[in-house]
Amino acid sequence: MPTSTIFTLIKQLVTKKATNPFPVKYTPKNMHAAADLIEKGELEINPPIDIPSDFRGKLVYDKECCIGCKLCTRVCPSEALIFDAEKRKVKHYVARCTFCGQCVNICPKSCFEFSDEFLIAGIDKYSDELVYEP
Amino acid sequence: MSKDATYEVPIGPIHPALKEPFMVKFKLDGETIVDADPHPGMNHRGIEFMGMHRNPLKVIPLAERICGICSIVHQHMYTTAVEHAAGIEPTNRARYIRTIMCELERIHSHVLWAGVAAHEIGFDTHLHFTWKIREKVMDLLEEISGNRVNYSMWTVGGVRRDIPKKMYRRDFSPKMYPKIQNTLEYYEKLYGKLEDIFLGDPSIRLRTKNIGILTEKEALELCGVGPTVRASGVKKDVRIDQPYAAYGDLELDYVIPSRYGYENTGDVFSKTLVRLKEILQSIDLIRQCVQKMPDEDIDSEPKKAALLNKLKKADGEGIGRIEAPRGEALHYVRLKEGHEELDNWKVRASTYNNLATYAPMFLGEQIADIPIIAACIDPCIGCMDRAEIVDINTGEQTSYDHEELHEMSVRKTREILGDKL
Amino acid sequence: MNLEELIISLFYVLIIPFIGIFLGLLYKGFDRKITAMMQSRIGPPWRQPFRDIRKLFMKETIIPDGAVPWLFNAAPVIALIAPLIALAYLPIGPLGPIMEGFGDLILILYLLAIPAVAMAVGGLSSGSPYATVGAQRELVLMMSYEFPLAIAAVTIAWRFETFSLGVISSTPVWWLVGPVGTLGLILVALALFTVLPGELSRVPFDQAEAETELAEGLFVEYSGRNLGLFYLAEAVKMVVVGTLMIALFFPQNLTNWVTIGGPEIFGIIIGDLVGNVAFFLLKLLAVIFVSVSVVRVAVARFQIDKASYFYWVPMTLIGLLGTLLVWIEGVIL
Repeated sequence: MPTSTIFTLIKQLVTKKATNPFPVKYTPKNMHAAADLIEKGELEINPPIDIPSDFRGKLVYDKECCIGCKLCTRVCPSEALIFDAEKRKVKHYVARCTFCGQCVNICPKSCFEFSDEFLIAGIDKYSDELVYEP
Repeated sequence: MSKDATYEVPIGPIHPALKEPFMVKFKLDGETIVDADPHPGMNHRGIEFMGMHRNPLKVIPLAERICGICSIVHQHMYTTAVEHAAGIEPTNRARYIRTIMCELERIHSHVLWAGVAAHEIGFDTHLHFTWKIREKVMDLLEEISGNRVNYSMWTVGGVRRDIPKKMYRRDFSPKMYPKIQNTLEYYEKLYGKLEDIFLGDPSIRLRTKNIGILTEKEALELCGVGPTVRASGVKKDVRIDQPYAAYGDLELDYVIPSRYGYENTGDVFSKTLVRLKEILQSIDLIRQCVQKMPDEDIDSEPKKAALLNKLKKADGEGIGRIEAPRGEALHYVRLKEGHEELDNWKVRASTYNNLATYAPMFLGEQIADIPIIAACIDPCIGCMDRAEIVDINTGEQTSYDHEELHEMSVRKTREILGDKL
Repeated sequence: MNLEELIISLFYVLIIPFIGIFLGLLYKGFDRKITAMMQSRIGPPWRQPFRDIRKLFMKETIIPDGAVPWLFNAAPVIALIAPLIALAYLPIGPLGPIMEGFGDLILILYLLAIPAVAMAVGGLSSGSPYATVGAQRELVLMMSYEFPLAIAAVTIAWRFETFSLGVISSTPVWWLVGPVGTLGLILVALALFTVLPGELSRVPFDQAEAETELAEGLFVEYSGRNLGLFYLAEAVKMVVVGTLMIALFFPQNLTNWVTIGGPEIFGIIIGDLVGNVAFFLLKLLAVIFVSVSVVRVAVARFQIDKASYFYWVPMTLIGLLGTLLVWIEGVIL
């Protein structure tokens, strides 16, 4: 009989669970109402776990320093960066970004930077939050 | 009633025993398997074709998305193939970092496989246990590369992120930067428990011993690779046979069951054993890497714009081989002068070889053993499905056997070489 | 039987099914939560099975083209009714068997076999190869675990010289035997404990619905209300088997040791009744915890031939040895 296994298992009844809890205990019926409640501070959510250093979050693009060399669009694998010929800047579609960071490496003026922001999911991929217009 | 009481049960394309779309048609007599016929081709995504319309740097993130678990493997093979074709040498430090990442991924892959195997035999407790301890190596990989999966670490000429010195320590003094060492010690500590579970638990032994046997002869004949054939006693490991990255500097030996006092039976049990022992081997290899790692640049081509132009001018073929956690895999890349895109890109993953070993392993076993035998080669259909033949008008799929393929390749060679023959 | 008794009996018969279903779902939720906690997960909330049932009953019921519709639809109903009837013949905590005198242990053993047969019939009538294999396995497994189950039942009945559960549950069987007989009874109880996971189709004996092998096997074609009925049947069966185990081996009430007292209505002391019911629920919890939850997380699924062998040879031998010891003590010593 695997007695040591059973012993460990029974011990795990009381030890801390390995799963990270979901932000709210039960899925709310209305997400938007729940989000409003959280903003007002009436509903508490489990905090997200810490992010590591050098995290690849949402890409931050400094359009002032951009010189319009188009190198980033040459290495972007998912065409998340589209060159705007009129403004001579790039347009960033966050929904397409794969966070590979090739643009960060290739940019001669270091206009790109990874931020720590990761809660960037949205319903409309062409909404203002998910498309960065220069 | 006819004398032939067999009936056919298709496992797949969608089935809980398979983690990816793939089909095996089984002919059963009661609970016993009398015939197994694999039908791949449900997960073809045309990645190679996509790659041939992009420049070499754009393909790196695409290559790692061939597979979620072996993303490092595909990155490595692809970049080494391009380096080989363009005549670029990565720096030594990059080689060591690549080795460390490869070995970390091997730990990740094998621990994950152990969990899947436990799930396939109905032992979900150990699925949860192994996937819990897998988090530690994933955290480390995230710490190093910034991503939990699809690490985006490789580039042509080296790696994109250094392993900062605060993460490893050479002198083993406890005061210094413990990140990598901590993870390795964590796995060393838990290794005994893993072995207790997967090699010692009676109900697991009942399900793995003498199940899915692949003899040494069959393994050699069917050209299986990786832990699948090492469990049968075949000494085959690219890391030793043809060292790449930094493996030439490291000390390692073939992991076969007879080294640890077990028989080279080639059943599921010895495949589990080989995979578990490879976790230990990986820990040892990372230790060696950390000690021997030189201090220098991580990238021999830091100017990526110049690199793009260099690759555009390059002309030639390159091959990248690697001992992936699942066995030997290979990328072939051809660059053409004046073309920014890849001229040709061919991927051959380890599952492609190992799929042939299904036939002898399945025969004579029971339905209950299908999931564990299907899982024991650690199949990765996403890596493997590279071609399928579909008639666009009718949607009908066809398959070619050995003779037809041989005939076709002879015809194609004649076409290409034509007058030279 | 006078009119008053008849009314009380009818009341019980109408109420008991709902209590059985409620308890079954409650213990299913308990089982899932405890299992998750033992696997170091958080697990679903306790009321998840109730939600599952609500959802399943709202879903569309699909009858596959290859199925035999009336058989396909009848199987889940039969599978649910049989354990509900069995509940009426079982002593539930302080209450004796309601249908005492109309049926006994033998009837319960047969009623317990019906859900398995109904599931197999439902699986075979659904026309899917997976379900066919699952049905074959279910029948093989049923034939295997019936033997130790029958041995356990017969041993107890032989000691009491009756099959009536009212009599059996009135006195703990341990009081009737000496040291040798106690050893024998422990062996018999062990054999019966191993039957429980098989009877309830849980790991390691869930071959009939093995998820990774047969994609839920028997139930692969079932959906909506039919699947919900099977779900309920399984839940009630858990209570029935647990109660049977308690009635055979641990029928003690709390009042055997402590009396709580309290007000008295119709000759029943409320405090004692509540105490006894709570004690019974705890016993059921313990039986389910040991024989279902712990076994389920600590063992891998067996192959069908090995499961069959497990019941036919080691468990049958253990059961027979136990019976022999009890017999030796009763007849020779």
